[in-house]
Amino acid sequence: MAHRFPSEEWTAAFKDAVNDNAAYRKAGAAWTHGAVAMVIAADPALGLEEPVGMILDVHGGQCRGAEYVRGMDAVAGVPFVIVAPRARWREVIEGKLDPIKGMMEGKLKLTVGHLPTMIRYVESSRQLVVSAANVPTEFVE
Amino acid sequence: MTQPSVTLAPGSEDNALAGMLATLVRQNLDDSAEKVAVFAKMWGRVAIVATDLDTSLTLRFERGTLRLFDGIVGIPDVTVRATSEAILQLSLVELEPRFGLPDPRGENARRMIRASLHGEVQVFGLFPHLPLVLRLTRLMAVP
Repeated sequence: MAHRFPSEEWTAAFKDAVNDNAAYRKAGAAWTHGAVAMVIAADPALGLEEPVGMILDVHGGQCRGAEYVRGMDAVAGVPFVIVAPRARWREVIEGKLDPIKGMMEGKLKLTVGHLPTMIRYVESSRQLVVSAANVPTEFVE
Repeated sequence: MTQPSVTLAPGSEDNALAGMLATLVRQNLDDSAEKVAVFAKMWGRVAIVATDLDTSLTLRFERGTLRLFDGIVGIPDVTVRATSEAILQLSLVELEPRFGLPDPRGENARRMIRASLHGEVQVFGLFPHLPLVLRLTRLMAVP
């Protein structure tokens, strides 16, 4: 069954997909730098009156928890926050946009976080995206 | 030693790659006194052309100061033409600990060599400005 993106159901399925991804377990094995939030920017035209996001508690190659949240206040204190419009996240999830290349193009913005660490774990980021691509996803326009 | 300064020149704010490199340099300098010492010796202009992003920028180093410009500004001492993937790989090149030079035994260093052989990375002005290129590599490195 496809899960609507973004939603609590999609977030829960994403967590399972990350934990099912052996390549992520390997690439993220040394990650001890804290949670990562993927935030979808507000877009009233799409029915998103405020930003929504997914906070992934990733550690040592595992996703220990995933929380679907509303508003930027909810991601305050998260060590890494990446923000993009929903259309960009769709491109990422569909494998059409590499997340790091997206940052280099300004399509995704690392608004909080230590960029050298993010670059050091570039393969880990890519495997999170591969995991996302494995979630049956419904995009409602 | 003066405080390191990394700034975006007016007009370069919309160049995402310039902003990203500025952040990378700032955070690397915050983390490492060794990089601050390297940065203090850097002088010259480095142009970076991201061939797949249709983006270019210029880094102007003036011993402890870096200003990033959108596009190619002035006459660069060194020009790096590379895909965005290869530009990223430059930061991941392993450095040997003694002199901080690229370590050809490293996986990413070997990947860069292969990319150079395939034309994915071209560095113009490398040999006349080898110290600047080596310092740039050390400054950008994240391992």
